[in-house]
Amino acid sequence: MKLKEINRTAIQSWSPAQHHPIYLATGTSAQQLDASFSTNASLEFFELDLTEPSLDMKSCGSLSSSHRYHKLVWAPYGMDDQSHPSGVLIAGGENGNVILYDSAKIMAGETDVIIAESDKHTGPVRALDVNPFQTNLVASGGNESEIYIWDMNNFGSPMTPGPKTQPVEDVSCVSWNRQVQHILASACPSGRASVWDLRKNDLIIKVSDHSNRMHCSGLAWNPEVATQLVLSSEDDRMPVIQMWDLRFATSPFKILENHTRGVLAIAWSLADPELLLSCGKDNRILCWNPNTAEVLYELPTSNQWCFDIQWCPRNPAVLSAASFDGHINIYSIMGGTNQAQSQRHADQISNSFGNMDPFGTGQTLPPLQLPQAPAPPATVNPLKKPPKWIRRPVGASFAFGGKLVSLENPKPNPQQPQQPASHVVHVSQVITETAFLKRSDQLQATLSAGSFVDFCQGKIDAAENEFEKTLWSFLKANFESDIRSKYLELLGYNKEELALKISAALEEKPAEPPQVEVPAPVSLQPLPDISLMPPTDPPEAAFNMIAAAVVPPVDNPEAAFDMIAAAVVPPVDNPEAAFDMIAATNLQPAMATMEIDSIPDPEEPAAADPEDAPTSKPEENVDQVLPEEEAVEEEIPLEEEEEETAAPDEEEERSPPETSAPAPSPAQAPCQTPAPAPTDGVSLSISQDVDGLITQALLTGDFEGAVELCLHDNRMADSIILAIAGGVELLQKTQKKYFTKTHSKITKLISAVVMKDWHDILKTCDLQSWKEALAAVMTYAQPEEFSALCDLLGGRLEAAEDAQLQAQACLCYICAGNVEKLVSCWTRAQEGHSPLSLQDLVEKVVVLRRAVEQTQHSGPTAIGILLAEKMSQYANLLASQGSLSTAITYLPDNTNQVSVQQLRDRLSRALGQQAATAPAAPVPIQRAQPQPRAPTQTQHASAPPQHTFTPIQPAMVPQPTAAAPMPMPTPAASAPAQPQYYQPVEPPGPMYGMQPSCTAAPPPPSSTPGYMYSQQYQRPQNGWNDPPALNRPSKKKPAPMNYAPPAPIMAPLGADPQAQQGLSGPPQAMGQHGAQVPYSGMQQQLSPPPMNPAMPKTSMEGAPGAPTGDVIQPLQSITAEKILKKPIPDEHLVLKTTFEGLIQKCLAVATDPQTKRKLDDANKRLEALYDKLREQTLSPAIVGGLHNMARSVEARSYTEGLSIHTHIVSNSNFSETSAFMPVLKVVLTQANKLGV
Amino acid sequence: MASLEGTERGNTGERTGGELDTRWVQIKIDLEGTVFRGYGATVWTHGVLPLSQNPVSVINTVDTSHEDMIHDAQMDYYGTRLATCSSDRTVKIFDVKNGGQILVADLRGHEGPVWQIAWAHPMFGNILASCSYDRKVIIWKEENGAWDKMYEYCGHESSVNSVCWGPYDFGLILACGSSDGAISLLTFTGDQQWDVKKISNAHTIGCNAVSWAPAVVPGSLIDQPSGQKPNYVKRFVSGGCDNLVKLWKEEDGQWKEDQKLEAHSDWVRDVGWAPSIGLPTSTIASCSQDGRVFIWTCDDPAGNTWTAKLLHKFSDVVWHVSWSITGNILAVSGGDNKVTLWKESMDGQWACISDVSKGQGAVSSITDTQQNEQ
Repeated sequence: MKLKEINRTAIQSWSPAQHHPIYLATGTSAQQLDASFSTNASLEFFELDLTEPSLDMKSCGSLSSSHRYHKLVWAPYGMDDQSHPSGVLIAGGENGNVILYDSAKIMAGETDVIIAESDKHTGPVRALDVNPFQTNLVASGGNESEIYIWDMNNFGSPMTPGPKTQPVEDVSCVSWNRQVQHILASACPSGRASVWDLRKNDLIIKVSDHSNRMHCSGLAWNPEVATQLVLSSEDDRMPVIQMWDLRFATSPFKILENHTRGVLAIAWSLADPELLLSCGKDNRILCWNPNTAEVLYELPTSNQWCFDIQWCPRNPAVLSAASFDGHINIYSIMGGTNQAQSQRHADQISNSFGNMDPFGTGQTLPPLQLPQAPAPPATVNPLKKPPKWIRRPVGASFAFGGKLVSLENPKPNPQQPQQPASHVVHVSQVITETAFLKRSDQLQATLSAGSFVDFCQGKIDAAENEFEKTLWSFLKANFESDIRSKYLELLGYNKEELALKISAALEEKPAEPPQVEVPAPVSLQPLPDISLMPPTDPPEAAFNMIAAAVVPPVDNPEAAFDMIAAAVVPPVDNPEAAFDMIAATNLQPAMATMEIDSIPDPEEPAAADPEDAPTSKPEENVDQVLPEEEAVEEEIPLEEEEEETAAPDEEEERSPPETSAPAPSPAQAPCQTPAPAPTDGVSLSISQDVDGLITQALLTGDFEGAVELCLHDNRMADSIILAIAGGVELLQKTQKKYFTKTHSKITKLISAVVMKDWHDILKTCDLQSWKEALAAVMTYAQPEEFSALCDLLGGRLEAAEDAQLQAQACLCYICAGNVEKLVSCWTRAQEGHSPLSLQDLVEKVVVLRRAVEQTQHSGPTAIGILLAEKMSQYANLLASQGSLSTAITYLPDNTNQVSVQQLRDRLSRALGQQAATAPAAPVPIQRAQPQPRAPTQTQHASAPPQHTFTPIQPAMVPQPTAAAPMPMPTPAASAPAQPQYYQPVEPPGPMYGMQPSCTAAPPPPSSTPGYMYSQQYQRPQNGWNDPPALNRPSKKKPAPMNYAPPAPIMAPLGADPQAQQGLSGPPQAMGQHGAQVPYSGMQQQLSPPPMNPAMPKTSMEGAPGAPTGDVIQPLQSITAEKILKKPIPDEHLVLKTTFEGLIQKCLAVATDPQTKRKLDDANKRLEALYDKLREQTLSPAIVGGLHNMARSVEARSYTEGLSIHTHIVSNSNFSETSAFMPVLKVVLTQANKLGV
Repeated sequence: MASLEGTERGNTGERTGGELDTRWVQIKIDLEGTVFRGYGATVWTHGVLPLSQNPVSVINTVDTSHEDMIHDAQMDYYGTRLATCSSDRTVKIFDVKNGGQILVADLRGHEGPVWQIAWAHPMFGNILASCSYDRKVIIWKEENGAWDKMYEYCGHESSVNSVCWGPYDFGLILACGSSDGAISLLTFTGDQQWDVKKISNAHTIGCNAVSWAPAVVPGSLIDQPSGQKPNYVKRFVSGGCDNLVKLWKEEDGQWKEDQKLEAHSDWVRDVGWAPSIGLPTSTIASCSQDGRVFIWTCDDPAGNTWTAKLLHKFSDVVWHVSWSITGNILAVSGGDNKVTLWKESMDGQWACISDVSKGQGAVSSITDTQQNEQ
């Protein structure tokens, strides 16, 4: 194909291979005149720009010259050291001159372009060649047998290769050997070639045949074989190219005959030694394989002789040919069409040929298939032989599972090309993340051993930072007894220590610093105000105490109430301590108001180490924070003495709150209600003041009125005490009123404790005191609200500005057992996504999930999108490292993410397991095109579940009930070795779950997806996006996303689950609306959802035509058989009897219970086959195959049966046979093993 | 060039400190002969790598019995079947499950060397495309265990050098690059029909490689409302004898040149569009006759701004690049029959993590590296 054209009658030389971009230098030819008869000469440079589609070549510089040229060569000399960045162009002139031009300078338009010049030669210099090894050496040939070797480093004095040959002749060609740098050949028009050895400085051999008709126009060495050269003959009587081997120099080794007139020039490709160009006076340009003397290619040329032809050294497919008609043409020998060039503008408009197939027949593509016909000049067949440079010798490609496939082609030996060589392909495993894999293995080991405590401890020990340590400590706590107190301990509250401290405090003398009595964690730090009230109000420390010690502080007017509250809401497990605290903390307000409150230190709480807190000495802490402590101490004792007297009372008579209530704070009560004095007589005055009214009300038993009065009179303590006597209802009312009236700082807290409503506190508390808030939740929250409360706090922390607080949210989520949130929080905290950080995450997630299932004995939150994504990322990563079997265990089941489904399918197939679905889906057609079969097929798929649905249930119940309850109560304990980390959370992968994680055992019988699933499907799912795993098979071959599901089927199916939802435990409701159905163990056991939940979703998601119905059919059939059994056609009955008989035989022999189970299972599952037979839905090929199998079974030739089996499986639509073929395989394998 | 001489001399232990090319550094990390090399100006280490273990180990060697040079070997989607093609004009399919090698099919139909093969996504069935010097593209399909021609495309006028299936989201669509400079796009339209579109003169004097972009537009993975059809744009990259890497995209059913990436100074031998890993970056690797491998990246959602980073300059032609499925490792196959694996480190530098000669998994041991560092 013609690429470019230059309108010059000129000789040419390509820029050296090293040079980029590619240039072509042209020099006015000395031998030809153009029509102008001008004898002006010039050197010109053109750039070969293939990105430019036009035929023109861009001129890049020219030089007018007084010489015309016979020969041009372009040496890379000086390019490396940049002395001549574009090399040196060497020209042979008419008058015996050899001129060295600096190419770069010519192109730059400079004037001093000549590096050196010599006119030492006699006559025109027709021959030039640059030594390929020493680019500073140029050989030139002139008349009178003159050959000079020029050293461009020292140009003045050339040497000769030896004594002149005799008789004296013109030298038409010189050429350096391509393999041996000191060998030079020259040729003369007489047809003789001489080979010189420059080391010996002598002629070593003369080559000539005896025809005397050779008129040597060209000489070239074989680029690969040092002893071979070709000579071309210009003589029309002998238009040949002779190939000589100097080892047999008596006659030509080969003669290339095809030109009809003399050959004017030859060029041997350096890129492929099997390509030799020649051009002749017959106007042809031929490309030969000189080794076979075969013409590989003939270039389309004009009607003029070419006198010079050159391969482009850099672009091996490109050549240039100079012809006498005044053109230099640039061609590609790779074929193609130059029509494209001339039509380029037209092409730009319609270059994607949208109408190439206007009739839509598509089969033969007439316009493209017959391109040659209409445009004969346009198309040129490419070389018969593929050139070496496009024969790719290597190529390593990645494949799934971190495999690398690489080729090994032995290097062809040019000397012995016939030698047979083995061509192999290596499949390698690439493992780049060893550290990651190691940790993954550890996690695996932990999971199978169930040694989570050790695992967590190991993580704690190895933790790189405190946060990590805390995180793992929290996770570890999940596996220990009394989780909440462990959490509390981790938060810095140790009940026992606290109790000790309290009792110690009570025994101490009043002189002791009051701070000692403050429970340790509280004294740790003053905490910011949780109620967000002005700081002048009672101290935050009070809250701390409550939170920590479960003892309400006694705070001025509320004191009495507080104590009552404490009594009403007894602390979790040691009320004594609480009461002790009441006494002790009576001191607190004054002290705290004055001191702690005044020196809030917001930084300390965050930095405080919860681990250290219980052990550290409170005094020290307080000392650090409260430098003014001394002053406080002086003031406090006074108060304390008063309190001391009250405290013992309280201890003695704690049950009737009335008696102890007045004690704490008589002096401080703002209403100045006198404390009841035991010595006074009872006042029964019924005066008209408030006291009198109260008295009257009391006397009449009108507690409500009395309380109202007290409240109105702001006698809080009285009102509360009275309310207690008035009954629970009144008390609650009073409490409410109290809280609405009172606005002290800790009111909210007290309110929370009393009203058991923590939401408000958690919503409003200062985030810096998250720890305290969490501790309070730990202490007070009911189990059912605990998670939600922790979540709430976690959510607030996560939303915080402070990055440190954000990270702490993780702890809340761990307490809440909220895996999904943990993931999102952790993910946000971690920058980047290196394998190890993913491993970090997965470790936590897996441990937490296991913890949740262990502690809460109920399904934790379902796998959400983010977690599913992370898990599939993790699985992907494992897969990329070759850990396929491990990877599959981490794939979340209950997600409808297509990528996850695909990955699972891919993994299971890669593992050699029978995939749940075959890739045998009908080839999807283009998006716009409706598939005609779709409606019928989908209807077929969707119809059965609707009518079989209800009847199935009773039939299905027995199987799951046997299995379901067992793993429930003690999931971790009962199944520690199972690698299905999600099992308790949601149904495990039906096929993979049964398999030990690492063995490559043959697929167990459970590998038929649907059926097994129904057995393992134990629990309703509560995730919004949990597609019942049953539909996974059908999703494995999801139609392309762009396939809109057919509208018609949506309506009935979409409606169906809704309609059923109200029923008790309808499977669809369970599956699809699980989140709304309250969880109940009973329900779950009684009505395990069978496979049908899959149906609606499947049909909605499945592509039209995807064989969803078929996939599920086995299940339907199992049950359908119990309802309506058509008889198996007689001709196929033999199948049933044979297979059943075989199973019975096996059962009779089998001893291993596992095998028996398998066989039993198989027996049941073969119903799927029988159903297909009943329905006659199997293709004749399959039925035929089954009969063959049955025959081989009868002949007890199980291996043959298995091979038939393989044949059937590999030749059939998987979905058609997936229900029973794997079962049959199991049976046959077993039979073979058992030798029945 | 110079740097490569340096490398070789380094291997033979003849190099002296003074000759050490400053462009590369070698670091020896353990005593087992595992060598971590850094190329470019920065020295790198790779903490993740095993110290005592080569990352590449041969697990199966398949003797293909091809009678001539093998040009391509590709595993199917699951990694259980291997297809090979050769200058002997055949395509062979082997079942390589569990380290075995069972010849499943020997596909004959091409009349010249077969350059490349490509597996279609299995959702379409077992389909393999092959392209040959005979100017034909043949699409083979397994039906009932037998492989047959599904379609034969003869629309090119010269050697077809590369075939690549588009992402399955687009259906069955095959891009073919030919030495005639054109790229054909064959789309299956059902009922044995194939729609053909042709980009003429995509690369003057020849297209050597084509590779599809992942269907998901980078970044859209994250914030894609479920159920909503993502806005897929068909895009692919090609490399050719005009030294260019070109990006193409389909607009209104027409293929248009989207970008022209210039960096190579010789034929672009192969291009590989990295699989999407959910990041909002598109990545393309290109390799060339000039020995250079470039990594092109584009963060711009419009796909207009591509930046090139030189991965390495090899001493010889680089024939082939292949991304790992997860898109983080690049295998580079050079003319010296060496396969090197490259990985991008955290700081964005590309580092060689394995240097495999002839698939043997052996890493050339270097004895004088420590000396050199001193």
